[in-house]
Amino acid sequence: MSTPLEKPQIISHIQKGLNYTVFDSKWIPCSAKFVCMGNFARGTGVIQIYEVQQGEVQLIKEIEKAKPFKCGTFGATSLQKRHLATGDFGGNLNIWNLEAPEIPVYSVKAHTEIVNTIDGVGGLGIGDGAPEIVTGSRDGTVKVWDPRQKDTPVANMEPIEGETKRDCWTVAFGNACNDQDRCVCAGYDNGDIKLFDLRNMSVRWETNIKNGVCCVEFDRKDINMNKLVATSLEGKFHVFDMRTQHPTKGFASVSEKAHKSTVWQARHLPQNRDIFMTAGGAGSLHLWKYEYPAQRSKKDADGIEMGVAGSASLLQNVTLSTQPIASLDWSPDKQGLCVCSAFDQTVRVLIVTKLNRV
Amino acid sequence: MPLIVKDYSWTQTEALVYINVPLKGVTVGKVDIFSTDEYLKVNFPPFLFEVILYAPIDDNKSVAKIGNGVVIFTLYKKEESIWENLALMNVDKETLQEKREHAVLKAQEKAVADAEAKAIKKREDEKYALETMMKLEDEERKRIEEKKEWERRRATEELELWKEKQRKEEEEKKAQQRREIQKLENEKKKKNETKTHSKSVPECPRKRTMTKTGKSEEISLPAPRSAGNIKIQFTPRVFPTALRESRVAEEEAWLKKQADARRAVNVDVSELKDLKEEERNPDWLKEKGKKLFATQNYLAAVNAYNLAIQLNHKLPILYLNRAACHLKLRNLHKAIEDSSKALDLLTPPVADNADARAKAHIRRGTAFCELELYAEGLQDYQAALKIDPLNETIHADAEKIREIIQGTVPDS
Repeated sequence: MSTPLEKPQIISHIQKGLNYTVFDSKWIPCSAKFVCMGNFARGTGVIQIYEVQQGEVQLIKEIEKAKPFKCGTFGATSLQKRHLATGDFGGNLNIWNLEAPEIPVYSVKAHTEIVNTIDGVGGLGIGDGAPEIVTGSRDGTVKVWDPRQKDTPVANMEPIEGETKRDCWTVAFGNACNDQDRCVCAGYDNGDIKLFDLRNMSVRWETNIKNGVCCVEFDRKDINMNKLVATSLEGKFHVFDMRTQHPTKGFASVSEKAHKSTVWQARHLPQNRDIFMTAGGAGSLHLWKYEYPAQRSKKDADGIEMGVAGSASLLQNVTLSTQPIASLDWSPDKQGLCVCSAFDQTVRVLIVTKLNRV
Repeated sequence: MPLIVKDYSWTQTEALVYINVPLKGVTVGKVDIFSTDEYLKVNFPPFLFEVILYAPIDDNKSVAKIGNGVVIFTLYKKEESIWENLALMNVDKETLQEKREHAVLKAQEKAVADAEAKAIKKREDEKYALETMMKLEDEERKRIEEKKEWERRRATEELELWKEKQRKEEEEKKAQQRREIQKLENEKKKKNETKTHSKSVPECPRKRTMTKTGKSEEISLPAPRSAGNIKIQFTPRVFPTALRESRVAEEEAWLKKQADARRAVNVDVSELKDLKEEERNPDWLKEKGKKLFATQNYLAAVNAYNLAIQLNHKLPILYLNRAACHLKLRNLHKAIEDSSKALDLLTPPVADNADARAKAHIRRGTAFCELELYAEGLQDYQAALKIDPLNETIHADAEKIREIIQGTVPDS
């Protein structure tokens, strides 16, 4: 029913070509600055801080370190400190104070192989409970760290002895609705998705989506689990309704095919948890809206509650690049502002308009 | 022979000439008029009327009206004068002929010129249409761009405003903190003046300062979680690569083949009764063959592989290794046969058997080149390169073969 001019538009506001491969970009909370993390051609790691000024980005600071950086998050720090937690190619987890980056605030050799993915919870005034960081690595393990505890993880999800390990490609925190509850969701390259409950230290749910899992994200970390988006290879993503768990069938889901290539990222809008953007391997971005079904749960043949999945509708799409867009981050302060980085060594600041009218 | 019409009539003024030619009952459709500036001909079989005009007329302006049994010409003179006669008198046959031909030529030229003019006009029209279309589309595009620009500018302004607000808030907060610290410092000073001893007292106001300024760092964060360990199991997967739906069918087919090949094949017991237990195992024979190859005992290696293949003719690695032995023994045809058999068994092509396939191609390529079948050899090397593009030796060898081919071609 919306005319073409009423749909949200994705506008590329600023483009900046970089001289290194950039793997991740994140907004610094409560500011108009963002960080880019990556890998110089000479094999060293780099963190750059940019500020959006007028119609351009200005480089504020550049930090070079020995190992290339793969991923980073601000999720576990307080709003005053704003420390960046990073995972690098050597398997180390470091937390940096960007004002004084010579020595990390916290450092540990988290994994034996590259840290593919990282997420943080408990900081930024979002949610209750201890600040924690989870990392997933190519060595098949997922570890949860507390920045106040040195050297040992507070939780370690590892394969049984003798089991061949699969690469963990993505992790996400969720269900952090009070001090005790926490869940970690991990996606692996053989299509496994596992949901770990940190309160009970057990696997709460696992499933296999038949394609390597590139990204998992809960729509909100700090509420009772509501929705989980899992994106994968072969251009598919699944949206799971996490409110009702059936003992055998697990969670209900709806899946969509998009991008015609690997879907690298899915990110929910911080201001509206039913809108999310997916980034594809052909350099395209799709903006989706999830619609809930009339009844979110129903009784199956045996009278046990099971969930009902809704539907995802495409609001807008745009192609920005020919290379995969590897990272995407919405600004928590300004609705519609997001930064994305692609493997064509550019970082782009985008504006998505009319999101309040969706 | 057409009948010449002579009973025409004509009148003139200073600028015009009127000629009246009776049609003598011929239908209008059969009348053909041919005219140039100096020559006029009306052909209505079986009659013919032609006249070389006294002076030139303007052919484009003149008109001819056919109807009512007559053709009436209204000719505009080029020069205003009174003609003595309609036609040029005293013309001999030759001049007449000349004039006729000249007239025809002129008419042709005129026709060509007309056609050209028409074509040019058509092109002009098309160009004009195209240009207007392009202009319309440009305008449309500009409109959309402007809308986008406007949105972008609006968003930038909002961003800048918000940044300003942030900055102001930051400054205010800092100022407030400073003020509070000042206030408490003063209070502390007063307190210190009254209580000169007891070191513990100064501690308390400081603590209160901390909480008052709102730097509530540790609003009692829960203790770090007690360490836990969760053991997990993965959905089994043979290949080290990531799972892709589109590749599942191929992978299944390859795995099934491998499984079939590993199952022991029925052996004809009578023939091989004298074999020891271990010699009946194709894997053991393969290892033996490898060792013999390493010590350069190629004939014995071939024997070992022969026996292994007799026991199990579905293992591609046996053919591959036997091909290598044959190469060393210069049994080139056998080497080609074995490499081909190995490649056949190595379908479908998955990442698992890439190495083996590359080796098979290289060995077959070498055999071809030794037989001087360079074209086939090059094909095989290129196939090997496709599988393993980073291998320097394959590149170097492929280059050598190309040079040999180019070297031999001019000779033949």
